[in-house]
Amino acid sequence: MRAMIIDDSRAMRSILRRILAGLDFETAEAGHGQEALDQMTAGPVPDLCLVDWNMPVMDGYTFISTVRRNAEWRNVTLMMVTTESEHTQIVRALAAGAHEYVIKPFTPDAIVDKLELLGLVSKGALA
Amino acid sequence: MSQLAPEITDVHAIVDEVWRSFLGEAEPLLARPVPAGTPFDSAAVWSASVSVTGGWQGTVTVEVDERVAAELTRQMLGVPDTADEDVADAVGELVNMVGGNVKSLMPGPSTLSLPSVAAGRAAFASESVEVARLDALWAGQPVRVTVHTAAQ
Repeated sequence: MRAMIIDDSRAMRSILRRILAGLDFETAEAGHGQEALDQMTAGPVPDLCLVDWNMPVMDGYTFISTVRRNAEWRNVTLMMVTTESEHTQIVRALAAGAHEYVIKPFTPDAIVDKLELLGLVSKGALA
Repeated sequence: MSQLAPEITDVHAIVDEVWRSFLGEAEPLLARPVPAGTPFDSAAVWSASVSVTGGWQGTVTVEVDERVAAELTRQMLGVPDTADEDVADAVGELVNMVGGNVKSLMPGPSTLSLPSVAAGRAAFASESVEVARLDALWAGQPVRVTVHTAAQ
């Protein structure tokens, strides 16, 4: 499985990369939504994107909306990982096409639980 | 006139959760009483702020001793050595998480800014007023989180 981590913080990308590496994901990284779109266009297309909301150049909401408008990317699973925890924003992100939503700070188990719900990892995968 | 402010117990809970998530449980963040108006008592400081605009307007600032900043960075990046740009990135993400969660306590909808980070103490606009402040120690070193709003 391929995952792309889209976050303007290298520290946060590093944390998520280590969690996903423990789940045997191959990972790519982007510092904002436009960089992620450019990488997806060039290929390979990831199976999963972990997407921050607040980023320079292109934010996570715009990224998700853009991905969902492209039929070639319909199989990409999108998970927001963000500090944005207002109910209206969670609803907005899910309506735009996000499959799951994780609020920072998180534990590795919280990420694994969401990936289990999405059927991307099996139970106890990080043990 | 009183300012709309987050409860200090909520701010403490947020900071504690962020700390435990990224620095583990081994070294707890210990709150400590510091009189109002006391400058942040560290000679070498990293500071970072985020602004909230919309239903509630305010600024959330984190100041940490440089040793706390360095350890935080090592833990978050998973590396033994850190450069200033690494520390700026990690401290910026720290205030992003604290600020985003403070925002969720306040009336919305509102927007969170990208973090601004400085090697040095934070400076506050003269027209702003401090409405919440958490002073703590982590591994014996000082940590301060403040919330400011515009004076009414």
